[in-house]
Amino acid sequence: MAECIFAFGQCFEGKLHPASLEILTPLREVADRLNKRLILIGLADDKEKFLAIPELKKLLADEVWYIIHPNLKHLPDDLCEKVLVYLASEHKPYGIFFPATKKGLSVAPRVAGSLKTGLCAHVNAFEVKNGNLFLLRPTYGENIIAKLISQRLPIMATLALNAFPIKEAEKEPMIKEVHLPEGFDWSTKLTIKNFKPAKKSPSRLSVAKVVVAGGMGLKSKENFQMLFELAKILNAEVGGTRPAVHAGWVNAERMIGVSGVSVRPKLYLAFGISGAIQHTVGMEGSEFIVSINIDKEAPMMKMAHVGFVCDAPSLLRALLRKLKAQD
Amino acid sequence: MGRIVVCIKGVPKPGTVKVDKETHTLRRESAELILNPPDRSALEVALRLKDQANFEVIAISMGPPNTIPVLQKVYALGVDDIYLISDRAFAGSDTLATSRIIAKALSLLSPFDLVVMGARSIDGETGQVPPETASLLNLPSITYVKELRFVDGKFIAIREDDFGEEEVEFPSPAIVSITPEIDYVRPPSLKRLLSLKEITPKILTNAELNLDEADIGLSGSPTQVAYVFEKTFVSRGEIFEGEPDELAEKLIKVLKEKGFLA
Repeated sequence: MAECIFAFGQCFEGKLHPASLEILTPLREVADRLNKRLILIGLADDKEKFLAIPELKKLLADEVWYIIHPNLKHLPDDLCEKVLVYLASEHKPYGIFFPATKKGLSVAPRVAGSLKTGLCAHVNAFEVKNGNLFLLRPTYGENIIAKLISQRLPIMATLALNAFPIKEAEKEPMIKEVHLPEGFDWSTKLTIKNFKPAKKSPSRLSVAKVVVAGGMGLKSKENFQMLFELAKILNAEVGGTRPAVHAGWVNAERMIGVSGVSVRPKLYLAFGISGAIQHTVGMEGSEFIVSINIDKEAPMMKMAHVGFVCDAPSLLRALLRKLKAQD
Repeated sequence: MGRIVVCIKGVPKPGTVKVDKETHTLRRESAELILNPPDRSALEVALRLKDQANFEVIAISMGPPNTIPVLQKVYALGVDDIYLISDRAFAGSDTLATSRIIAKALSLLSPFDLVVMGARSIDGETGQVPPETASLLNLPSITYVKELRFVDGKFIAIREDDFGEEEVEFPSPAIVSITPEIDYVRPPSLKRLLSLKEITPKILTNAELNLDEADIGLSGSPTQVAYVFEKTFVSRGEIFEGEPDELAEKLIKVLKEKGFLA
């Protein structure tokens, strides 16, 4: 009973979404601490393509269970729900975890609703204490991390993107096909009439080695624009906080934080960013953090490896002037 | 005439919300509420369908009484009716309990063709309620919809998925969640704005919804906050103070030392 942990393996066209591999890293630890088997569940339409997925043999799960049916090609939410709910009722897992991809965020709530269990969003850490699993996530407005516990099994959560590195296993997982019973209803109410693959590869911001970011401390859109100039010189990508996006200073795709992009650059330059937790969870993995803020006590100043107490636009202006003069 | 229900949320104006020290849930009743920005797009989508095909549009919102001004402003945008779903017993609901409450309210408002919600709220940011509510009602859910079309009596959604863009046809009734990007949102009607004070939403309490106490509020929420801790950062680095020019020099020096500048 409750001897296994399910992880949702999001596949498409013979590719496994990297986020599904990321989540196995913390789940591996959890499974080891709680003595459970970690199982990656893959739903796909083509058996050969699935088995040809390169990462399959090196991923951190104990087992990979794959279910094949043509209707699963685009992973329609209602059908994924039915399949996962079936597997959950058969195997009574201790937990079911999803990456916080659009698919994960769309399917997990349906499964949780069906199983009448709790679902925690944006979990970026776990804690195991006295045989209990705590889910950690940043919470509302304040600089607070909440430790959540579920009173019902299975424990379900969507795991924050880019919060965990991908690790490889020493031992190959046991890979097996799971067949659903004869009368299983494979129908879906959704009809995909057209599909256009994404032209862009994962956002350059999410993989950038250097990020220059701005918050409300920059005071205006014109000032914020200076970050783009700086980015050119440093070969960096530009990011912004939610309030800066809300103010129209920068596009939503450049928002760094809980529901935006997560970054792990070598250098993070924060101009006029106070460091609200919804933002910092998106960049706390940065190797070297520099903060420029008029407020010495701002959380970002404490988090930074080097802090400069200064009006952000003024320092940015001076910095650009000097850097341009150098060339 | 078909019916569209738009489910909106009043969220605390950023910076005004307090967290209850006991339950660690938001103290919504004390906050100044604004319309959750993604819901503004959801309303626009519904109102365009109203313009196109004469749908009746009803806006509902689950929240404490301070949600009423938000609903009044929504009425000014041109919806046909507004409902507040409110009861002390609903306070502290997680997304499962919330979805149960909204599902029940929707069933009281059926038949409907479509339920439209914003993809996520800017306070909880889970985005779970639309699909979870759909699952409880055994309806399809279509999330992250960029564009919603109504052609020959059928709904077609253009949605953003992780690997690309999908064109999805689905039967009604269904629940869709709208991503915030939209080109234009209509201004409120001046006439309605002038009579705002006279507009009161219909109220649905648990007397009308008749949900089991064990299924709502804190008791109906399987995930509980066990503990919260403030993320404190002990200053880990050096702090420099001075004039912009000298600090800029210092910063350039640091970046050079670390190898980020030639």
